[in-house]
Amino acid sequence: MNYLFLATSVVWVLIAGYVVILGKRQKKLQKEIFQLEEWNSEQ
Amino acid sequence: MKEVSSLIDRILFYALVPSFFILLYLIFIWSPVEKVMGVTQKIFYFHVGSAWVAFLAFFVVGYYSVRNLIKPNMKHFIFAGASAEIGVLFTTITLITGMIWGRASWNTWWSWEPRLVTTLILWFIYVAYLFIRKMDGSWEKIAKLSSVFGIIGCLNVPIVFMAIRWWNSKLHPIVFGEGKGQSGGGIEPEMLITLLFSVFTISLLYVFLMRKGAEIERMRVIVRNQKNKLMNKLAS
Amino acid sequence: MKDILSDAITIAGKDLSNEFKTKQTIGTMVIFSALVILVFSFAFDPTNNTVKAVIPGLIWVITIFSGTLGLNRSFVSELENNCLTGLRSAPIDVTSIYLGKTLANFTLVTIVQTISIPVLFLLFNYRFTGSLLWFILIVLSGTFGFIVVGTFLSALAANAKNSEMLLPVLLLPLLSPLMIAAVQATTIVLVNEQISDAIGWLQLMTAYDLLFLGACFLLFEFIMEGS
Repeated sequence: MNYLFLATSVVWVLIAGYVVILGKRQKKLQKEIFQLEEWNSEQ
Repeated sequence: MKEVSSLIDRILFYALVPSFFILLYLIFIWSPVEKVMGVTQKIFYFHVGSAWVAFLAFFVVGYYSVRNLIKPNMKHFIFAGASAEIGVLFTTITLITGMIWGRASWNTWWSWEPRLVTTLILWFIYVAYLFIRKMDGSWEKIAKLSSVFGIIGCLNVPIVFMAIRWWNSKLHPIVFGEGKGQSGGGIEPEMLITLLFSVFTISLLYVFLMRKGAEIERMRVIVRNQKNKLMNKLAS
Repeated sequence: MKDILSDAITIAGKDLSNEFKTKQTIGTMVIFSALVILVFSFAFDPTNNTVKAVIPGLIWVITIFSGTLGLNRSFVSELENNCLTGLRSAPIDVTSIYLGKTLANFTLVTIVQTISIPVLFLLFNYRFTGSLLWFILIVLSGTFGFIVVGTFLSALAANAKNSEMLLPVLLLPLLSPLMIAAVQATTIVLVNEQISDAIGWLQLMTAYDLLFLGACFLLFEFIMEGS
């Protein structure tokens, strides 16, 4: 039973971790794009 | 075009959430407890599902690598990269659940069992592939190099499996028998349904993550282009 | 085909004569394998009788460790003074570069082996009683597979700045089936078991060699285009 609990939590932690990392990456890139577009449209 | 793609994303997401809850229900409540192994047998559903996706992701990498060599295409390059990353994730899950499974049923964390070792080597090949993609240079160059490695890696996997199986049978006769899950009796229909559903859900998750990964890669390309544009602007 | 082969031999000759003039790489490889043997003799007490069981593994460990050193230099040395660009613009088929480099590396590693394996036997007090012919055959086919994949990946890794670090990471997972077969076959020959058991492993190694030689031969073009 303990092993089942361990395995399930490992699976969820890894998947959730990956999704969070993806989300962070996306946010960072979105910010970068925003900033770059702003600089590009200046002057 | 953009609306369609975001619609697909949304549909995927809304399909994913309920299927996960159904999957949990099926695994923990609905499916019967296996007689010999007990509750631990339920690890099997995650294990097989992620192993299937790990190998699927690998063949997707191989497929896009071949396509990329025939005709370089940014889209194929992006898909291969996203698939490789998700492959690492699911290979890790397969390895860890496999180890826990081994600990629970054979009392060792690691056994030199062909499927487990093949998965480990697959993991190393995936990581090496991602290392190649981290090289600096134009995307065309990296696409060529990583595709070449992807194809070679794909060729290697079946040979690894054969070599290890052979090595194992010479070393000590097959202990675990065929079929990892069913150490006693045949598979019950409820178990089969749960297994199929778990494979389905994890595949759905793969498609979802793949689309997200591809989107992020596309944003990276935009960032690079914008940076170049800015650089030119500053230079002039 | 004939042109490719003769060009390959020319390139291999160029590499080898270069190497024999300076003896830099080959000297380092020999010294390095001797050092690895020394370290292993600290790790496993050579006076212990059970240590004979690890000798087949050691043969391949020193081959791979010292071979990787040589492979690292194989293409990176061509980057100096843009020699690789020169080679590529020469009126020859690009695959002959690959074949030539493979030949040169294979010769180098075999020379290192003819020194390091006897040294290993000597320092570990091992008396060779098996069939020498089979032993040589197995060592050569294992080394050939290692060089075929190694040369290819060394060309690939040469594109990166940290190619010395990248090459082993790329190479070792791909070598794993070959190494399983090579170590098993070597063990069978060294403990004087029936040769017929080793033949299966030898077949696996031959299949691996041919398959990867073919694949690398066809794919090499793309690596050169990309760089």
